Amino acid sequence: MELELTLSPPNQRRQPTKKSGHGGNTVTKSPLLSWSQEEDDEPNKTFFTGDYQQDLDGEGQGLNGWPPLHSWRRRLIEGEWFNERVDEEEGDNMNEVNNIYNESLFVKVKMDGVGIARKIDLNAFHSYQMLTTTLLHMFDKYVEIDEDGASYTLMYQHKDGHWLLPGDLPWEMFIGTVQRIRVARN
Amino acid sequence: MAYSFPEEVLEHVFSFITSHKDRNVVSLVCKSWYEIERWCRRSIFVGNCYAVSPKIMTRRFPEVRSLELKGKPHFADFSLVPDGWGGYFYPWISEMSRAYPWLEEIKLKRMVVTDEGLELISKSFKNFKVLVLSSCEGFSTDGLAAIAANCRNLRELDLRESEVEDLSGHWLSHFPDSYTSLESLNMACLGSEVSFSALQRLVTHSPNLKTLRLNRAVPLEKLSTLLRRAPHLLEMGTGAYSAEPRSDLYSSLQDAFSKCKQLKGLSGFWDVVPSYLPAIYPICSRLTSLNFSYATIQSPDITKIVSQCPNLQRLWVLDYIEDTGLNALSLSCKDLRELRVFPSDPFVADANVSLTEQGLVAVSDGCPKLQSVLYFCRQMSNSALTTIAKNRPNLTCFRLCILEPRAPDYQTLEPLDAGFGAIVDHCKGLQRLSLSGLLTDRVFEYIGTRAKKLEMLSIAFAGDSDLGLHHVLSGCESLRKLEIRDCPFGDKALLANVSKLETMRSLWMSSCLVSLGACKLLSRKMPRLNVEVIDERGDLDSTPDHCPVEKLYIYRTVAGPRFDMPAFIRTMDQEPA
Repeated sequence: MELELTLSPPNQRRQPTKKSGHGGNTVTKSPLLSWSQEEDDEPNKTFFTGDYQQDLDGEGQGLNGWPPLHSWRRRLIEGEWFNERVDEEEGDNMNEVNNIYNESLFVKVKMDGVGIARKIDLNAFHSYQMLTTTLLHMFDKYVEIDEDGASYTLMYQHKDGHWLLPGDLPWEMFIGTVQRIRVARN
Repeated sequence: MAYSFPEEVLEHVFSFITSHKDRNVVSLVCKSWYEIERWCRRSIFVGNCYAVSPKIMTRRFPEVRSLELKGKPHFADFSLVPDGWGGYFYPWISEMSRAYPWLEEIKLKRMVVTDEGLELISKSFKNFKVLVLSSCEGFSTDGLAAIAANCRNLRELDLRESEVEDLSGHWLSHFPDSYTSLESLNMACLGSEVSFSALQRLVTHSPNLKTLRLNRAVPLEKLSTLLRRAPHLLEMGTGAYSAEPRSDLYSSLQDAFSKCKQLKGLSGFWDVVPSYLPAIYPICSRLTSLNFSYATIQSPDITKIVSQCPNLQRLWVLDYIEDTGLNALSLSCKDLRELRVFPSDPFVADANVSLTEQGLVAVSDGCPKLQSVLYFCRQMSNSALTTIAKNRPNLTCFRLCILEPRAPDYQTLEPLDAGFGAIVDHCKGLQRLSLSGLLTDRVFEYIGTRAKKLEMLSIAFAGDSDLGLHHVLSGCESLRKLEIRDCPFGDKALLANVSKLETMRSLWMSSCLVSLGACKLLSRKMPRLNVEVIDERGDLDSTPDHCPVEKLYIYRTVAGPRFDMPAFIRTMDQEPA
């Protein structure tokens, strides 16, 4: 069925409804298109690959304006206001719950182009290679990543706030200084 | 009828009609009712500041005492509306300072207010009483100083969630010593410390003070001093709620709270130290409203508190409350009307707290008067939504935000169409709905056909095709505000439902698939709509017609196109090509 672009009155099936109580001005405009149900009307598939990616903010917190929190509240969250205290306590609790020989060391991981960050337990890994491999697989349901991840660079935020490339430090020292991780697009 | 009721009688009858909708209807009955009504209308509500002009308002309504005015579209709260968009208050205050010398109240939402505007308010209206600036911006504490210094009869100053350029806390000291009429002050959004002695003086000289919301800079040590001087408070917002554990401070605080026999609402609780929380236990049984949404209190502590609040009607809280806390809420607070659960760590996919759909199900089950819900969570299921709908058919506002866009039913991996369908099916009085999760065009079919009272709908990352939008625009008899982001809705649905747009206040669409050409076409056919295209990416003049626009805001208006916008916003031309 072809869609008709027409300025003529609508077809019989679809009469526009008149609203009462509008004084003398009930001029209902005919629709500019007749709506016709197309069974083969393809969902707009291309939508998700193109524009969606463009909207994602590689830096900051990902999707613009998502989740829908008042900018006032969002600023508090981004200032880590709600998590500073909690992280300390959580860390203690988790250490009690977990095996005392195997403390958890959770850090946030943010990948460019993906709106949602993840958390990983660094103590579950024993080498940079394991970490890199895991990270790539963690995000492959969000974006397409080539096998060796050549188009991405791993970066980490040192305790003192600077962003550095991992690899210089031995693994044990590394996990003691890392605050958060970013998988940056080249 | 030549000899109907004398005007005075009609005027007297009209004075009992306060709802804006009803007054609008009254004015349509006949010409003489229109005339009488317009002379005695005291309160005006303008839901979109560009739908009408200040002059049109003052010409029709000469004796206004109260104005409520809204500017930017709702999505501005989430930074989706670019800076410079508009919503300027100055044209309104400029006109009103001339036309309404007896104006008493101004309530603004999402408008750009300037210090000049505030100064003009403070000097133009001898009897000015109420100023509410909700999510406004563009002014500084200098403007507040002018209000404080000049508004001798000010009763209410409420700055809720506005962005104020905080030059200093000195503005509060501008209230003269002779000023005694303060009833309500909300300065919670300000960062700077105000002079405590000025604050104390103000509170002491305000025998009618009912609401006091402090900002974070007011330390806990000073709170009991203020409470003692305002024992008739109904609502209190604390400042920072933390201090070194000191038993003298604790007992002083507890004593001060218990002396406030009328205290019904609490908020604030910035930087909470849990050991000071029990100080509020003595008043919990009287509380009807609790805003803990900035408080990093863990579940056991929140649970202890809500379990002691049988009269609680409104709870705003962070997801630290967890399912266990919500379960306790459902058992203890049978009078609950409104629940808002905010996320503590929304930018991380993995949950940091144990809050799931079960918490909301429990509250829907245990709280028979629950009407209004705002719930942020990480998982949802159709069966939970259906249970909630069946439990609470009296819901009027249901806003669900599953943090991950397009998240399916976590149990079946299906879209959440059926769940939201159940919501609109059972909750026949639903007025406001926000959707999230994986949704196909089907959910919009349910909404279009079943949500007869729905007035406001928010959609994000949902739908498959134009059919979805078409269902909404061709149904939803009561729809007034529709806001959409990141949905595959394009020209077809919009152009097939043009007359619907004139029955609504506004439509916002961003990151959708509406083409520039369709916007132009729509604008030419609908002269009483402003079709505004927002596009910061490039030059709108050289953009081809088939390109999708970045953002689109359509609203009905009797004021014609506006001319106060930046270059990246254009009203589509209304002259035929």
